[in-house]
Amino acid sequence: MAKESTTIDVGEPSTVTKSSSHVAVDEKKKGFVAAAAGGGYKRGLTIFDFLLRLAAIGITIGASSVMFTAEETLPFFTQFLQFQAGYDDFPTFQFFVISIAIVASYLVLSLPFSIVSIVRPLAVVPRLILLISDTVVLTLTTAAAAAAAAIVYLAHNGNANTNWLPICQQFGDFCQATSTAVVAASISVVFFVLLIVISAIALKRH
Amino acid sequence: MKNESTVIDVPAESSSAMKGSAPLIGVARDHTTNGSGGYKRGLSIFDFLLRLAAIIAASVAAGTMFTSDETLPFFTQFLQFEAGYDDLPTFQFFVIAMSMISGYLLLSLPFSVVTIVRPLATAPRLLLLVLDTAAMAFNMAAASSAAAIGYLAHNGNQNTNWLPICQQFGDFCQKTSGAVVSSFVSVVFFIILVVLSGVALKRH
Repeated sequence: MAKESTTIDVGEPSTVTKSSSHVAVDEKKKGFVAAAAGGGYKRGLTIFDFLLRLAAIGITIGASSVMFTAEETLPFFTQFLQFQAGYDDFPTFQFFVISIAIVASYLVLSLPFSIVSIVRPLAVVPRLILLISDTVVLTLTTAAAAAAAAIVYLAHNGNANTNWLPICQQFGDFCQATSTAVVAASISVVFFVLLIVISAIALKRH
Repeated sequence: MKNESTVIDVPAESSSAMKGSAPLIGVARDHTTNGSGGYKRGLSIFDFLLRLAAIIAASVAAGTMFTSDETLPFFTQFLQFEAGYDDLPTFQFFVIAMSMISGYLLLSLPFSVVTIVRPLATAPRLLLLVLDTAAMAFNMAAASSAAAIGYLAHNGNQNTNWLPICQQFGDFCQKTSGAVVSSFVSVVFFIILVVLSGVALKRH
């Protein structure tokens, strides 16, 4: 077995710097190769993320405006119920309109971050910001959609035990509009879950 | 400044690649992975503890709602003299959903342990993140719809002539409100879990 010997000079700062920078250059070369390979599919994912955001903007604006304009005035007068129904008769629907509008404006404001992630597929900070804020907004959207769904369910079916009468039998158009808004908000919840999963996949290291 | 010299014997067989630079690069890479493994392991331990806390919150919510029966000692003209969670379909959904969330959290504990043992593996963490996001949305749906019904029970709605039942069923309303609050606490835990998994996933 042939042995090799090497002499290392310890104590000169220039020598230490030279050897560590030599290592850094090699590391950078290897890191560069890995970066070029990973950037491709991440960029594709981020473009899909951007398109999902555009679709979610459309759906949330639609949901909020459909609920906002869901008014109905009955042509006759009944003994127990008002002959007018609107979203502001229900605090839950008021919460729905306001929070879905907030979600829509958040999505518009998050578009620049998405574009930055497309341009720089390997940057971690924009994606992490998007992941965290998407999680919070998912919570808000789910809250609004679920609360409105509970009230819409009550309006359709009523409750015999608490003597809450189903109002949909009188206010058919109002019920239809509110149900449509709730369905649209639920679709946007699915979009948000997809956005979070995309951000997580694009974040992970190789 | 005095220079010190030392002689190192390098066996010829061990260096298959470039003789001078391979050991140096190997040392540098080890140092990096050891460093990131450390804080990721800490995040995984915190994740595990949060899961335990979320199990407690979710099961307390389900149990409190399940046992929120109340029977009034007197008889009123319009309302039943009994109230339970099964009188309101939304509360039924709440109990079932919170039980499923507790079961899911129990089943996800082994995955969390795997991420503690192997801090650099991305597949368990990604799986946990995706499932946690779905579970968080489910949890929030249950909590929020029960909160909407609870708000109705407390305040009623004049426009639709829905009377507030809490004025008769005080204990029932208190217990259901407590269950809803516990469920919202579980949602907060889920948010932190999702963000933790996201941070632990990121590369350097």
